[in-house]
Amino acid sequence: MQTTQRKNRNRVPARGKMRNETFITLLMLAILIVLFTVAAFFVPNFATPNNIRNLITNNWYVIILGIGVTFLLITGNYDLSVGGVIAMTGVLSAYFCQAATDSRNELAIGLGMPYGLAIALALLCAMGIGALNAFFIVKLKVPSIIITLGTMMIARGIAKIITRGAQRNTSLPEVFGVIGNVSVPGTTIKISVVIMLVLVLLAYFFERKTVAGKRTYLIGANAEAARLSGVNVDRHLTMLFIFSAFLAGVTGILLASEFKAGISSRAMGYEFDALVITILGGVSVAGGFGSVLGMFIGALILSVVTSSATGMLLSPDWQFTLKAISVFIAIIAQGYFLSRRKT
Amino acid sequence: MSSITTKEFEMEEQATLKKQVRRAAIRKNIKRFYIYFVLVLVVVVFSVVRLGEVEMFGRGHFLNPDNIINLLRIAVPVMTVSGAFTFLMVAEYIDLSVGSAMSLSAVIYALMILNGFSFFPAFGITLILGIVLGAINGFLVMKLKITPVIATLVTLSLYKGIALLITGQGNSAIKSTPDKTMPAWINDFARKDVFLGLPAAFYIALVVIAVLVVIQRTTILGKYTAAIGGNRTASDLSGIDGVKVVWILYIIVGICAAMAGIARASYMSLGDPLSGDGMELSCIIAVLLGGTRFAGGEGDVEKTIVGALIVISVTVGMLTIIPAYWQTFVLGAVLIVSVVLNHLLVQNN
Repeated sequence: MQTTQRKNRNRVPARGKMRNETFITLLMLAILIVLFTVAAFFVPNFATPNNIRNLITNNWYVIILGIGVTFLLITGNYDLSVGGVIAMTGVLSAYFCQAATDSRNELAIGLGMPYGLAIALALLCAMGIGALNAFFIVKLKVPSIIITLGTMMIARGIAKIITRGAQRNTSLPEVFGVIGNVSVPGTTIKISVVIMLVLVLLAYFFERKTVAGKRTYLIGANAEAARLSGVNVDRHLTMLFIFSAFLAGVTGILLASEFKAGISSRAMGYEFDALVITILGGVSVAGGFGSVLGMFIGALILSVVTSSATGMLLSPDWQFTLKAISVFIAIIAQGYFLSRRKT
Repeated sequence: MSSITTKEFEMEEQATLKKQVRRAAIRKNIKRFYIYFVLVLVVVVFSVVRLGEVEMFGRGHFLNPDNIINLLRIAVPVMTVSGAFTFLMVAEYIDLSVGSAMSLSAVIYALMILNGFSFFPAFGITLILGIVLGAINGFLVMKLKITPVIATLVTLSLYKGIALLITGQGNSAIKSTPDKTMPAWINDFARKDVFLGLPAAFYIALVVIAVLVVIQRTTILGKYTAAIGGNRTASDLSGIDGVKVVWILYIIVGICAAMAGIARASYMSLGDPLSGDGMELSCIIAVLLGGTRFAGGEGDVEKTIVGALIVISVTVGMLTIIPAYWQTFVLGAVLIVSVVLNHLLVQNN
């Protein structure tokens, strides 16, 4: 079904020529610049330094998710459970460290753990969801789309059960609200944004410079060939699923801390946003192709599109349609330019 | 001496062969009937559990006729869509946009009724809308060669976005406004007693299911669907026009989603742009419970319908026992359980 697409994408370029991944990343960068210029002309107050900074920093949580989703998509797998994992981790981190006092409000009674232990346990639970995904996909060969839909419901379901469908925001220790709200000294940039940038750089290093990074591409291009050439495909996929859930867990803890509450309806639809930015960034849905840097640019494109829609006073209902249209345009444009590119 | 051993060996071989045949037969029968067993089990469990202070719809017992009628009325959309969904899964494709297509149809239908359309024109136009929505999915997947999951995830967002835009900011649904009143008869289709206490929508859903079963069992479309899911290369080589067949399947799913939307809009007497949310999940559960293989090639519409009844029984039945905020978890757990059951009973390994 996707053979033509895959053939074009995985063509080996001639010596000295740009890799197809770099080509697509540059293409999306060009589109980003064009979109930004157009928006700067039509949307009031768009090209101000403040707004430019917001474009980069406001989407930090989707970008962190996007790292895990990118690697999984490169191997040809989906992870739709990340949104649910964010809600679950946030709620659990709140529940674990709420004071274990007697209170008439049952949502105020927690387990009274120290904050460090609480987030460590919450992260472990997140990785548990990742391990559950991996077990079904690697061992039972269930399609990732089906099982991650299920674990998405499981994770969000746990969040809803613990909060009784609402949120936990009382009797939390002071330290709970620190990490999500503290800024880098001397600036107003949040520490979450710094974490995001560090993770992106690490992921870029992993992708380009490590053997495991190369294996990710090999698995996506041809899992059977990877297995035959001695790559432990099962273990690699398991690691990637647990890693993706771990990143979602980190995001969940940061978001819960930012709002000083574990909210069960947090991060609805983030799994879709994460997928949207990876596709906008040129990750092939057929597997074996894509880059973290492209995903980062995809995230910037998405924030330019959504924030110019807000700037032009379109109703928030427009975002679903706008995201859909930009993804279609991106997929078609990338396919077109790659097929025209001579190697 | 040696001839005896050969004979003994042959007899032994025959015995093991017989045992294998018997085991295969048992396996086949389990595969054929387990779904009905699960349905009976679910019904029995919910009937036995003493409901005590929490009563279903204020009427008490699970097997109360009123309750069964209500269950079947609620089940109409899931039954209609999941029947068609089976075809796609058998062909190893998927349509995640069914819920949004259903919501959009519900919104459009309610909008037409609100603006003075009578039943049949509104019904017909909504079905045409369903054909268009399905055809768009088919075009993206089969012509533009976008992976089914991504293409239909994006149309999920697109159709939902359009439904929300039509409903308009600040409104939760298409319903009576100070200027216009929703005619009371919008309810009749999905609630008015036609026969045995069940509404017209239910019987139409039964007809749709019957048509789907006939298509699957007797027509060439059904055979081609199984062939495409069973072995794509072989079906291509034997001259089956896969693009056309799957495109038709997407259109069938679109039509069924539109009918589900009409049923839901009539049942709720309004066009809710979020009414179809989660429909793809219910459909996947129903199809997997019904024993369709993940890898395609095998699956029955009628078993999916039983699966759909199980999904509805569990979601509605659970509400009587545990608080509503458990719903999400229960649905997820049911999906996981259906995956495990499917793996144990259906997959060939």
